[in-house]
Amino acid sequence: MRERFADALRSQVVGPFLIMLAVATAMALSTDRFLLSQNLKNVGLQVAIVAIVAIGATIVILTAQIDLSSGSLVALTSVLLADIVKNAGLSVPLAALLMILMGAGLGLVNGFFSSYGRIPSFIFTLGTLAIFRGLAFQQTGGTPIFSVSPQLDPIFYGELGGLPLPFVYVVVLYALAWAFLIYTPRGRQIYAVGGNESAARLSGINVNRVRTEAFVIAGALSAVGGILLTARLDSGSPNYGQGLELMAIASAVIGGASLFGGQGNIFATLFGAFTIVIVQNGLNLHAVPSAWQNITLGAIIAVAVGVDMWRGEFARLLVRLWRRGRAAQDEARPTTSTSAEDDVQSRP
Amino acid sequence: MATYRPFWELRSVVKTFPGVRALDGVSLALRIGEIHALLGENGSGKSTLAKVLSGVHQPDAGEVFQRGELVVLRDPHDAQTRGVATFHQEFSLVPELSVAENIYLGRLPQRRGVVDWSAARRGSVEALARLNVKIDPDRKVASLSVAEQQFVEIAKAISRDMMLLILDEPTAALGPAESERLHGVTRVLAQQGTAILYISHRLDEVFAVADVVTVLKDGKLVGTNARRETSVREAVRMMIGSDLEEHFDRRENARERPRLEVRDVRTENRVNGVSFAVAEGEVLGFGGIAGAGRTEIARALFGLDRITEGDVLVDGRRVELRSPGDAIEAGIALMPENRKADGLFFNFEGPANITIAGLGAIQIGPFLSLTRERRRARKLMQELRIDRRAEDRSVRFLSGGNQQKVMLARWLFARTRVLILDEPTQGIDVSAKQEVYRVINELTADGIAVVLISSDFPELLAISDRVAVVRSGCIIHFAEYGELSEHELVELAAGGGANEVAA
Repeated sequence: MRERFADALRSQVVGPFLIMLAVATAMALSTDRFLLSQNLKNVGLQVAIVAIVAIGATIVILTAQIDLSSGSLVALTSVLLADIVKNAGLSVPLAALLMILMGAGLGLVNGFFSSYGRIPSFIFTLGTLAIFRGLAFQQTGGTPIFSVSPQLDPIFYGELGGLPLPFVYVVVLYALAWAFLIYTPRGRQIYAVGGNESAARLSGINVNRVRTEAFVIAGALSAVGGILLTARLDSGSPNYGQGLELMAIASAVIGGASLFGGQGNIFATLFGAFTIVIVQNGLNLHAVPSAWQNITLGAIIAVAVGVDMWRGEFARLLVRLWRRGRAAQDEARPTTSTSAEDDVQSRP
Repeated sequence: MATYRPFWELRSVVKTFPGVRALDGVSLALRIGEIHALLGENGSGKSTLAKVLSGVHQPDAGEVFQRGELVVLRDPHDAQTRGVATFHQEFSLVPELSVAENIYLGRLPQRRGVVDWSAARRGSVEALARLNVKIDPDRKVASLSVAEQQFVEIAKAISRDMMLLILDEPTAALGPAESERLHGVTRVLAQQGTAILYISHRLDEVFAVADVVTVLKDGKLVGTNARRETSVREAVRMMIGSDLEEHFDRRENARERPRLEVRDVRTENRVNGVSFAVAEGEVLGFGGIAGAGRTEIARALFGLDRITEGDVLVDGRRVELRSPGDAIEAGIALMPENRKADGLFFNFEGPANITIAGLGAIQIGPFLSLTRERRRARKLMQELRIDRRAEDRSVRFLSGGNQQKVMLARWLFARTRVLILDEPTQGIDVSAKQEVYRVINELTADGIAVVLISSDFPELLAISDRVAVVRSGCIIHFAEYGELSEHELVELAAGGGANEVAA
C-alpha cells in the first residue's frame, strides 16, 4: 500500500522533475557560470519566495479558481511591514505576525467575493491585483523605505543547524502543505471541489467555504513571501513582486496542476518553481535584457497552460494517427475496443 | 383538411447507436393538415425519429421522402431549408431582445443597408396573427410568459415558410390553460396547411389534439391508428406491450417503524404539499411523468430547495434541511440522476469517491488514514462487486453499472438512513440493472429506507413495496405492491382516466 502511494506520487512528480533537470542541464551546458556554487546558492535563495507563493497558487488552482493578486499582496506586505517597523517602531516578530494575519484577511476578501459573491475569481483578483498595489503606492507615496531594521536580515540570511533559513521555510511549508492536502479532510475536499463542484456540493461539502479557505491560505502565504522579500532587501517597496503571481501560477501549471481544478501535486509545483527560476537565472547569466526575460516567462506560461488544455486533444490525435497506421497495416483484423481512446483522456 | 398523399414519409428507417437500436425499421407518413402524435415510453425512439426528420441524425438504413421524392437530410440546415422546423422543450430565443428581433433573428429585413424595423414589426404581427395571438412586437422576450414565448418561437418558425412542424414535449413547462392555447395554435396551423408531428408523454392531451396516433416501443413501430379508432387504454397497451422480459428480484425487507416522515412539505420549486412516510427497509417508488415534481421532492428532502412549509422527520426526530450537508448529517442522501455531472469525481480513484461524504470515518485525530480508507473501501467494493480495477484507477474508466455502484457505496459508507435514488438504472445495461436491484435489496436489508424515482414503470412497480403517483407536485395516489398495474400507473401519471383507478 505504501509503495502504491509512492508510485502515484512519483508518476505526478517525475515529469516536472525531468523538465527542471532538462532546463538546468541546458543552462549548465550553455554557461559555465551556472554551476558555480555562488550562483547555485543564488538560485536557491531566489526560488524560496516564488516557491512559497506558489503553494497558495496551487491550492487555489486545485479548487478551480485563480489568484492573480499575490504579487501585489507581496508589495503591500512589504511596504506595510517596513512602515510599521521603521516608523511605528513595532518589533519585527509582532509586525511579521500582523502581516500574515493581514494577508489571510485580504485572502478572505478575495475568497468571499469570488465564492459567496459569485464574481469570477479571475476578474475579482484582477481587481485586487490593482487595488493592493495601489494601496502599496498610497502607503509610501511611491517611494521605497530603505534600511528598515537590522532585525530583518537574519529572517532571510540566518541559518538553522547549518541550513540557510529560506531552505528551511520551503521544506517546512511544503511538508505542511503536502500533509494538509493529502492527509486532512479539508485537503481532500479541496481536490473534490476542483474535480466536480456539483458532486462536491451533493456530497455535503460546503463548496464556498472550501474555496474561501483556499484563498485565505494563499493570502497568508503571499504575506510570508512579502516578509521574506522585505527581509532579504531590508527595504519595503511598492514595486516588489511585479509578475510574481504569474511565476507562482506558472510553477503550479508546469508542475502539472490543471487550471480546471482537482489535479495537481504540491511537490511538482516546487519543481515548477525551480524550473522558472533556473530559466530566469540562466537568462541573467547570458545577459538577456529584462524585456526578453518577460517575453520568455510569458511564453513559458502560455505553453504550459496550452499543454494542460490540449492534453486530451493531443493524446487523441496521437491515438488516431496510431490507429490509422495500424489499420493500414492489417485491414483484415477489425478494431474492437474504444477503451484506448478513453485511456488517454485522463490526465496523468 | 388532410390530403391523402403523404407530405413527408419515412420508409423502414434504421438508426443504431453504440449498444442500442434506437429505430428499427420504422415507417411513418405525415400529411398536410394532420396532427400526428408520436407516443412511447422513454427510450422508445421518439426523439431519435424527430431528429432524423430534422436532419440531426442520419439514418443507417431506410429512406426519407418529401412529396414522394427521395431526399437526404445531411444536417439540420438542410432540413430547415426544406421547411422542417423543430420546436423543443428548451427555447432558442434571446431573452434580452424584442419579439420582432427574435422572430427575425439573423435575417432582419433591410432597406438600403439599414434595418427596416417597420417591416420586421409588420411581419411579426402577421406571423403571430396566423396563430391567433396578439403580442406587442416591441416587448422584450424576457417579459413574456412561458406560453407567450412558445408562441414567439412558433411564429419564428412559421415566418420561415415552415411546412412540417415537430413539437417535442411542447407542454412540459405549461399549465393546463396555456397548454390548451398551444393546442389551439397547433390546430390553426394544421388547418393553414402544415404537417405536425406531436411528441408527448401526456396521453390525455394527445388524444385531445391529434388526428393520428403512432406508438413506438423499443425502436419499433407498434401501430398507427386514427385517433377515433383507438383509445387511451389501447395506446397504453401498445406502449407497454404485454410481455415483460426483465426479471426483478424484490425482497420484502420493510419493517414497521417509520424511518422518514414527510408532512405537508412545500417549496417554491413545484412541491405543493407532499406527505408520505417510508419505513425501515421499505422501498417507496415515485411514479410520474417528466416534470411532475418527483425530482423536486427529492431536492427538497436533500436540502437543495428551501422547504417553505411542512416538516421532515428522520427516525421520529424533526430535521432542518438547509443544505446537502444538513441532509447528510440527518442521514438523508440523494443519488442524482446524472451521475457523471453530479456524482462522480473523475480526478479520484474508487476509494476516494466512496469515502468523500463520510471522511470522519477514516480520520485518526485530525488526519485521514489512507490505509483505513483503502481497507474499508475495498471491503465495500467486494460486497457490491465493483470492478476491482477501480481501486487504483479513476472511476472514469468504469462501466455505467460500476459507476452507479460506486455511488451507492458512497452512501453506504456515509451510514445513510434514507436514500433517494433518482433514475438509478438510466443508461445502464440489463445485467447492470440487476446488480443495482441486488444492491437496493442489500440496502433495505440493512434497514435503509429507499425512495426510488424511476421513469421505467415496470421496474418501479416490480421493486417498490409501495408506489406513490406524483402529478403537478402532489402525490395523487398511493398503491401497495401488486395493487397497481403498469397500465393504471401510466394513466394516473399522465392524467387520463384517473377516476376509474382511484375509485
